[in-house]
Amino acid sequence: MTETFEIRGKGLVGGRAAGEALVADTTLSFWGEFDAVTGRVIGVGHPLEGQCLAGRVLIIRSTKGSSATPMMLRLAALEGKAPAALVNLEVDSLAALGCIVNGIPLLTELAENPFEKVRTGDYVIVDADEGLLRVIRPA
Amino acid sequence: MQTPFGHNHERGAVVELTPEQQAVLDGARGPYLAKLMRWLVAWGEAMGARRLVRVDNTHALLPVPNLMARGASRETVEQYVAELREACSYRTAPGCYCTVHTAFVTLDPLDVPENDPEQVRLQKELAELAAQAGFIPTFTCAPYLVGNVPLKGEICAWTESSAVVYANSILGARTVRHGNESAIAASLLGWVPEFGVMLEENRKGTLRVEVTAHLDSTTDWGALGYFAGKRAGLGIPVFHGVRRPTQDEAKQLCAALATSGGVSMCHIVGVTPEAPTLEAAFHGAVPKDFVLFDDQALRETYASLRNHTGDEIDSVILGCPHASIREIAEIASLLRGKRVAKGVRLWVDAARATKASADAMGFTGVIEDAGGRILCDTCPTNMRIPARRIVTHGFKQAHYARSMTGAEVIVAETGPCIRAALAGRWLGDD
Repeated sequence: MTETFEIRGKGLVGGRAAGEALVADTTLSFWGEFDAVTGRVIGVGHPLEGQCLAGRVLIIRSTKGSSATPMMLRLAALEGKAPAALVNLEVDSLAALGCIVNGIPLLTELAENPFEKVRTGDYVIVDADEGLLRVIRPA
Repeated sequence: MQTPFGHNHERGAVVELTPEQQAVLDGARGPYLAKLMRWLVAWGEAMGARRLVRVDNTHALLPVPNLMARGASRETVEQYVAELREACSYRTAPGCYCTVHTAFVTLDPLDVPENDPEQVRLQKELAELAAQAGFIPTFTCAPYLVGNVPLKGEICAWTESSAVVYANSILGARTVRHGNESAIAASLLGWVPEFGVMLEENRKGTLRVEVTAHLDSTTDWGALGYFAGKRAGLGIPVFHGVRRPTQDEAKQLCAALATSGGVSMCHIVGVTPEAPTLEAAFHGAVPKDFVLFDDQALRETYASLRNHTGDEIDSVILGCPHASIREIAEIASLLRGKRVAKGVRLWVDAARATKASADAMGFTGVIEDAGGRILCDTCPTNMRIPARRIVTHGFKQAHYARSMTGAEVIVAETGPCIRAALAGRWLGDD
């Protein structure tokens, strides 16, 4: 039996995308902690170190750090290595900008704590137009 | 609006445009500027802006990206450079002071393979196009050291996370954290969406930091920032109990805050123009709770950016953010008549304009005679130079260098950094 449920949120950058969830209550600077060509997190000691973001739905607290986050998202998008969608609890202006320029849906203001409800490996659908996160958990 | 799991401002507001702005959005000045306008409006709506306001000052990023996209396809790099070329085919908005952030190569000859002549050629071409467009190609992360010093209240659109914090917190200017695309759009259109710390009500402190640690060196201020940024997240830390920092100390504080965190501004009580008192920093509502930065926290923060497994070193990196002329003078005085150990790269990163001063004043000669060099336009982390063990006085440099170069790092005050350069090995702090 697969388990499915929804969490309401608010879409800041519209669109729909789906992929495997990558979940961590952490922050990330795309410049300096992410490689746009491999799509991997390279931050030494970062909770997501070594994880590939390409095509996945990245669920983290917020972006932080360098102002080159939108640039790195641009390069990753050109290389086909950008995340499918971003779900952020708090919204850094740089995450919003990077998502707008590259057509990456961005969801925030979730009604429930995603770090308790969603697990890495869940299949999730982000509908930023409707403001919904749909979670499909294989049995 | 406060949500259960985060602190967000009201979002999804409609951005009201003036007829002139609406016309640009509708394509009156062509499809490219209409696209930039769409980005600014969408960004403003996402971040809760109600209008676009006139921008006085921008600091944009115009780099050839090869080193950030090492191994990327030729198409990716060409596409990215083509987008920058297109931006530079327009003129910057009349009256707007536009400077340029660092590149990923130095425009000077440099005998490391990372400074690939083809990328240098492309970067020079972009610099020329940028200058023709009205950008001043400063190629620095610290524009406030080379003439771009906004006044209190000046509306800015700055990239470079550390410079954003400096502009808001030390100068009292107003800028949110800009990325490449928004800073270019602001430069060419002359407007920015008004949200975040551009608005008075969003400039109040969110985290009280009581400081009892003895901050004796410039790097100690970086430690304070690295500690506080991690705890402040996207918020606004308020520092209480500290003396007035020097300009170089403030530079370190601001850089570290935007490395461990996503801070746009901080208040240093008694220093930040709008924070004469603790009450003013919190707009009257001073929280009882605070985090304490004591001498133990200071020591632990240093230890968190020392992951070396041995003492032999190959790189000493100073000038993160880019060195001031005062820092260059200090470094020259420590190096005068001495010699950097064989096999050690001692680089002082600075804006070309600052190096020109150092050349004229004789400091460059002293540093070069000792075997060091002043590196312009970029920094070793931007260049992703191969290094095995790096000593640096910048918390920001140490944090990013260990991930981007794979090197072990030791963060330390300037004096011990120079001693390590002369000895070829880390000798400790004293």
